[in-house]
Amino acid sequence: MAPVVESWRALTPGLIRGLRKMSSNGFTVQKIVSAIVSDIGSVLLGKERQVKLALACLLSKGHLLIEDLPGMGKTTLAHALAQVLGLSYKRVQFTSDMLPADILGVSIFERESGQFHFHEGPVFSQVLLADEINRSSPKTQSALLEAMEERQVSVDGETRPLPQPFFVIATQNPLQQSGTFALPESQLDRFLMRISLGYPTREAERALFLGADPRLQLAKLKPRIDLSTLKKMQSLVGQVKASDSLLDYLERLVLHTRQSSDCALGLSPRGALALLRAAKAWALIHHRGHVLPEDIQAVLPSVAGHRLQSDGGSGDQLVERLMRQVDIIAA
Amino acid sequence: MSNNRDLLPRESLLWIFAAQFVALLPQLAQLPLWIAFAWAFAVYWRLEVFRGRRDLPGRPLKFLVILLTVAGLALSYQRWFALEPMVALLALSFTLKNLELVSRRDAFVSLLLAYFVAATLFVREQSIPYALYGLISVLVITAALAAQLGSFSARPRRALGLSVRLLAQATPLMLLLFVVMPRLGPLWNVPQDTSAGRTGVSDSMAPGDFTRLSKSAEPALRIAFDGPIPPPEQRYWRGLVYSEFDGRTWRQGFGVDPRNGGQVYWKSGERPLPQVGPRYRYRVIQEASRSPWLFALARPASDSAGVGETLDDRLVKRTPLYSRFAYDVRSWPRDPQAVPIPLSSAERRRNLQLPADGNERTRAWVERLRRKGLGAEAISSQLLARYHREFTYTLSPPALGRDSVDAFLFDSQKGFCEHFAGSYVFTMRAAGVPARVVAGYQGGEWVSGEKYLLVREYDAHAWAEIWLDGRGWQRVDPTAAVSPERVRNGLESAAGEEFMRDSLLPVHRIDALVKLRLQWDMINYRWYQTVVSFDSEKQRDTLQRLLGDISPLRMALFFAAPVAVVLLAMLLWTRLGSRGRRRPAVERLYGVFCRRMARAGIARRAGEAPRDYAERISAAKPHLAEFAERVTQTFERAAYGGEASALKELRYLLRWRLLLLPRVPINKNKLAGQ
Repeated sequence: MAPVVESWRALTPGLIRGLRKMSSNGFTVQKIVSAIVSDIGSVLLGKERQVKLALACLLSKGHLLIEDLPGMGKTTLAHALAQVLGLSYKRVQFTSDMLPADILGVSIFERESGQFHFHEGPVFSQVLLADEINRSSPKTQSALLEAMEERQVSVDGETRPLPQPFFVIATQNPLQQSGTFALPESQLDRFLMRISLGYPTREAERALFLGADPRLQLAKLKPRIDLSTLKKMQSLVGQVKASDSLLDYLERLVLHTRQSSDCALGLSPRGALALLRAAKAWALIHHRGHVLPEDIQAVLPSVAGHRLQSDGGSGDQLVERLMRQVDIIAA
Repeated sequence: MSNNRDLLPRESLLWIFAAQFVALLPQLAQLPLWIAFAWAFAVYWRLEVFRGRRDLPGRPLKFLVILLTVAGLALSYQRWFALEPMVALLALSFTLKNLELVSRRDAFVSLLLAYFVAATLFVREQSIPYALYGLISVLVITAALAAQLGSFSARPRRALGLSVRLLAQATPLMLLLFVVMPRLGPLWNVPQDTSAGRTGVSDSMAPGDFTRLSKSAEPALRIAFDGPIPPPEQRYWRGLVYSEFDGRTWRQGFGVDPRNGGQVYWKSGERPLPQVGPRYRYRVIQEASRSPWLFALARPASDSAGVGETLDDRLVKRTPLYSRFAYDVRSWPRDPQAVPIPLSSAERRRNLQLPADGNERTRAWVERLRRKGLGAEAISSQLLARYHREFTYTLSPPALGRDSVDAFLFDSQKGFCEHFAGSYVFTMRAAGVPARVVAGYQGGEWVSGEKYLLVREYDAHAWAEIWLDGRGWQRVDPTAAVSPERVRNGLESAAGEEFMRDSLLPVHRIDALVKLRLQWDMINYRWYQTVVSFDSEKQRDTLQRLLGDISPLRMALFFAAPVAVVLLAMLLWTRLGSRGRRRPAVERLYGVFCRRMARAGIARRAGEAPRDYAERISAAKPHLAEFAERVTQTFERAAYGGEASALKELRYLLRWRLLLLPRVPINKNKLAGQ
């Protein structure tokens, strides 16, 4: 489906070097990606696209928000991703009586040493699954979201860095459900992508019925990649080329959201940057050294859907319209 | 209606009312007062709805309101198919639309109707103040339309600003259309309500009629001459001839007016014209009079459409003058007919008719003169000499009794034109000389600035004509015998102190104001000459002057040239404006490909990515698949991969390979063979 890079001339020298190095270690981006996707695909059936999006989000160092009904496999996706990437994984189930300290950690006085000792909260992990984030109070939400943005935690006047990489996968229930606190726009903006999984197809569901218990399978997943390779891949994302024509297209898209009467709020510069980064990661996943308009279109619903607001209709419909209205080549 | 978008923007409601008010205001002066109340009521109700105190009326209530208004119209107007009830109906339906003003669409309907209502203004009046008012109406209504756009567009400055800009942009187009738009004659004539009175000469003359006219300084005629101008004592503008007398009132009599069987020559040349050329050529612009009579010097002929000549040497119009009307006239006033046609016996009887009895003293006096053996002209000069010796000219004569001619000739001996003309004709008839009263205007004020003669209502006059065998009808003005200055210098100098005595302000005594009024009349005259009377004939003249010779080609050029110039300017402007960011070469080349594919039947949708497009082309047109795939790959490499060689390749593909593209699907085998 994705065209293979035909000539190395299309790639930047850094990218070429990076790819060669990985090849010499017996890895190629293509191999890694296909292995990860097929591994997770064995647990989460028929959701290849969402898995790739989650991977792209991780590679572009963003955080992921999964919004869906309970039981659709949000947690499974997060868990499988952490497992396959060989990252430390913690999960917090958010509740309405949760306090910031429950996430960040707390200093406790130890009688033996006569000193306060900091007990790290679940936030000190590489992959944090914040389950049902919109069940907690805004105060707790903010504590997590601040950590997400700064990638460090300040407790008792002491600043502690979070492990690298730090990747938050938050899930939330649709807001119509009772007992939820909506995330404000400013905090939604911290998530690079928002995806939803949706019901499985008929075939996928049948396979799910016939196959083994997904939970057991999850435990069997092996890491496919080590930390240094992951970091290398993350740095490669920045070197994917975005041509003038592509940036023109991006500008037109962003400008349209700001000028069109459809959108109440346009895309912020942070949103535009996120869009570009996510598109680069998507291009890398498809083993391409440059970004194509398709890449932007592929990530646009996930990146822009939760950042745009419209007078009528949801953000997703708005993105649909946006893609249809803004042409790829200049008029 | 469920969609929020279609609902009326709240703040625009006041604009709609303002537009309605502006459109209705001039109509309300003419329409029954209750229509104004109906409008106020509808506005009040809609405002209550706006404030949430009331609901929009339901169906039964609306039905009741319709019934009430129709009943009101039926009570107010007896005739249905006339202009005024129709305007009233329009105004009412326009008013009632307020009761169902919900969505933006309703507002548009109401405002478009407002344009129409505002335009009905010009059915009545086409003068400068009304034209200015029409402009203001259009401005306000357009602003109200602009206010419907939402998002603060209803702020007065924004709405009005947009409206002014729109109208300013429309003005050149309006001027162009004014000149070139074909002028069609009216497709039908709306019958007007003629019950409303209007000053002017009427079809009968009873004592006191002309006093009313002498109090009005309204313009009646404006006459521009082509060639010589008649001297003041010759300026008799004949409009009506009265030949029937019932002892008190002079009337036209039966069989004179075209409306009751009088013969009229409608076509020019139908009636033989004098052999010599006309003495005077002139164009009369007559104010609306609601009657069909036109005014001209004696023995007129006119080629203007809808104008006819009567047997008693007057001009009439086919339909009453509801608005200003201009007509061209040629006159032969002093040229006696070479061989006068003898008066027919019917005409002779008609012009000798007198009541069986009454005014015995006059009859006895005439009898005495006749016994002396005096002829027609001698009796006439005797009478005129009496007028000159014993009578006074006054605008406020004493009341006359039953035998009005007797009372005037022997008792009061004071009066003005109608008394003199009436008594003169009576006397001449009693003496056996055919005579008739002629009514019209006499004199006029020469406006040197624009070179035309301004005749006002107070110039209304009545005089006499007597039939002399062998010489035909001769004009005799008995008023001239008693007050020559009335004829020479006009009413103002004849009546002196009495002139316009009843008017509220003695404006005619203030010189500057008189001058100002004359100036204003000049402006009006010019307005009428250039704008209102711009008919198909003038249009042809203007175009001829502009183009030299009217041919379809020239017309088309004249039409198209300004449009083309404007469009070209806009094109240049946009081109120059976007010069800073020209499309990159890659994208232009890809555009060539897209256009070629669109001609093949598959147009790229906006926002469709090249890869998806290539796949769609492959699916729909397999014979183009290979080319499309190649172009797409090259384009992606050139545009997004930044390969310079790919740009060259793309250029080659789209300059040369494109020409080799099969126009129709080729056989698959053949393709494989290649």
